Amino acid sequence: MHYQTEAWGSYMPTRSTTMGDPLERIERMASENAVVIFSMSTCCMCHAIKRLFCGMGVNPTVYELDEDPRGKDMEKALMRLLGSSSAVPVVFIGGKLVGAMDRVMASHINGTLVPLLKEAGALWL
Amino acid sequence: MFPSWPTRFQTTPRVGSSKSGGESTDSGSAVNTLSSKADQAQLEPESPISKKASSSDHQAFDQKHLKLQQQQIHQEMATGPSHNQSSVKAPQEKRKGAGSTSEKQLDAKTLRRLAQNREAARKSRLRKKAYVQQLESSRIKLTQLEQDLQRARAQGLFLGGCVGAGSNLSPGAAIFDMEYARWLEDDHRLMSELRTGLHAHLSDGDLRLIIDGYVSHYDEIFQLKVVAAKSDVFHLYTGMWITPAERCFMWIGGFRPSELIKMLIGQLDPLTEQQVIGIYNLQHTSTQAEEALSQGLEQLQQALVDTIAGVPIVDGMQQMAVALSKLANLEGFVRQADNLRQQTLHQLRRILTVRQAARCFLVIGEYYGRLRALSSLWASRPRESMMSEDNSCQTTTELQIVQQHSQNHFSSY
Repeated sequence: MHYQTEAWGSYMPTRSTTMGDPLERIERMASENAVVIFSMSTCCMCHAIKRLFCGMGVNPTVYELDEDPRGKDMEKALMRLLGSSSAVPVVFIGGKLVGAMDRVMASHINGTLVPLLKEAGALWL
Repeated sequence: MFPSWPTRFQTTPRVGSSKSGGESTDSGSAVNTLSSKADQAQLEPESPISKKASSSDHQAFDQKHLKLQQQQIHQEMATGPSHNQSSVKAPQEKRKGAGSTSEKQLDAKTLRRLAQNREAARKSRLRKKAYVQQLESSRIKLTQLEQDLQRARAQGLFLGGCVGAGSNLSPGAAIFDMEYARWLEDDHRLMSELRTGLHAHLSDGDLRLIIDGYVSHYDEIFQLKVVAAKSDVFHLYTGMWITPAERCFMWIGGFRPSELIKMLIGQLDPLTEQQVIGIYNLQHTSTQAEEALSQGLEQLQQALVDTIAGVPIVDGMQQMAVALSKLANLEGFVRQADNLRQQTLHQLRRILTVRQAARCFLVIGEYYGRLRALSSLWASRPRESMMSEDNSCQTTTELQIVQQHSQNHFSSY
């Protein structure tokens, strides 16, 4: 059912806004992989967060919102979700929202990020 | 929030009163009042070289106050025995029995009080000496500054009175610099409290209060930097708010967390195995976070270069507008770097015990104090061989003060 929605969306771009709540879409996309990052190709902080995870040996799934036809709506939904003026970068681990760069770094420093990643199956050791 | 000065001295009467009656407690508190006043009088002048001098009136008053205390101490030592140890005395009354070194009624309590008196007097003398030396060097520096200023004026380089020492500071930067200067003064005061608390062997609970206060003090500067980054990120990023020596080690507008940890390793001993693992983990994670932020910043710089370099696609104004919007991201990076610094300090606090944390924060504070002092010394170092004699003596005096200053600090360990 979810994939069908997505297929419809790619065939009928003009009707994309009626194809489901952007927040639902975000949550669905977030639960599909262990580590999901919503990003924008031109955003440098997004680049930093990607480097952080890659540097830890994690292989995150990245969605560039500026390359998605429904990116604008998702951007607005993320801004509302985070309560901040910048939608990206935002990280989901194991389908659950971790947050933006500050939350991710704080959890890395206080030692809670690695267990979270291991639990989600994104890290082994 | 912080325990006031009397906390340090409350321990002595407790010990004293356990042995005999009210008389010894009164004497004890008399000693405490004297030495605490002596300490208070000398606390303010004790400051790193780079710190700006507080009002001379206040210090002059303290000097007189101190002299009075010292005279009182000397009088007490000199006065011979006139009555028995066991008689009840008023708290402020001079202890006539103090000088009775030849009598057999020299009990442990008297010995201890004598020793405390001597110690307090000695410390007062040392502090007075350091203070006077600092005054001398400041006087010398002041005359030299006046000379430099006159020379510069004569050469027409003086651009007119500016708060930012000749450079143009934005309002946000000027405000932040003032707030930072005040923060440094608070830092010095809090460090003294921390040092005293360690030295006085406060209970862990009391010491924890002081440390938590010190951590809040650090949280304060990070909050101030958030505001400053919004109004003038360049001021923070280019390090104009810190001294040149600190600027050498600057990373995205402040200290590099992993470098701080590296400096601390070896100075935090003894640590449990778990603590060692924790510290090394902290160094590892902070390094990873620093790497990530640095790489993000590199991409920002590259994007800026790409935007500005070459012929504008549409028109120059649009090119500038795009560049400006990219530059705005710098604030985010300074914020995240500060966030990383703050989280690192908090994690240190979590890993260490109360006493270890106290020593750790003292080490950090003194390290940066010395870097700041280094900047001052460097600025006033002899530059021309003709003036070398005068200047080298000034530098030597300053070095002596730094030495004595750091010795005073280390004595608490």
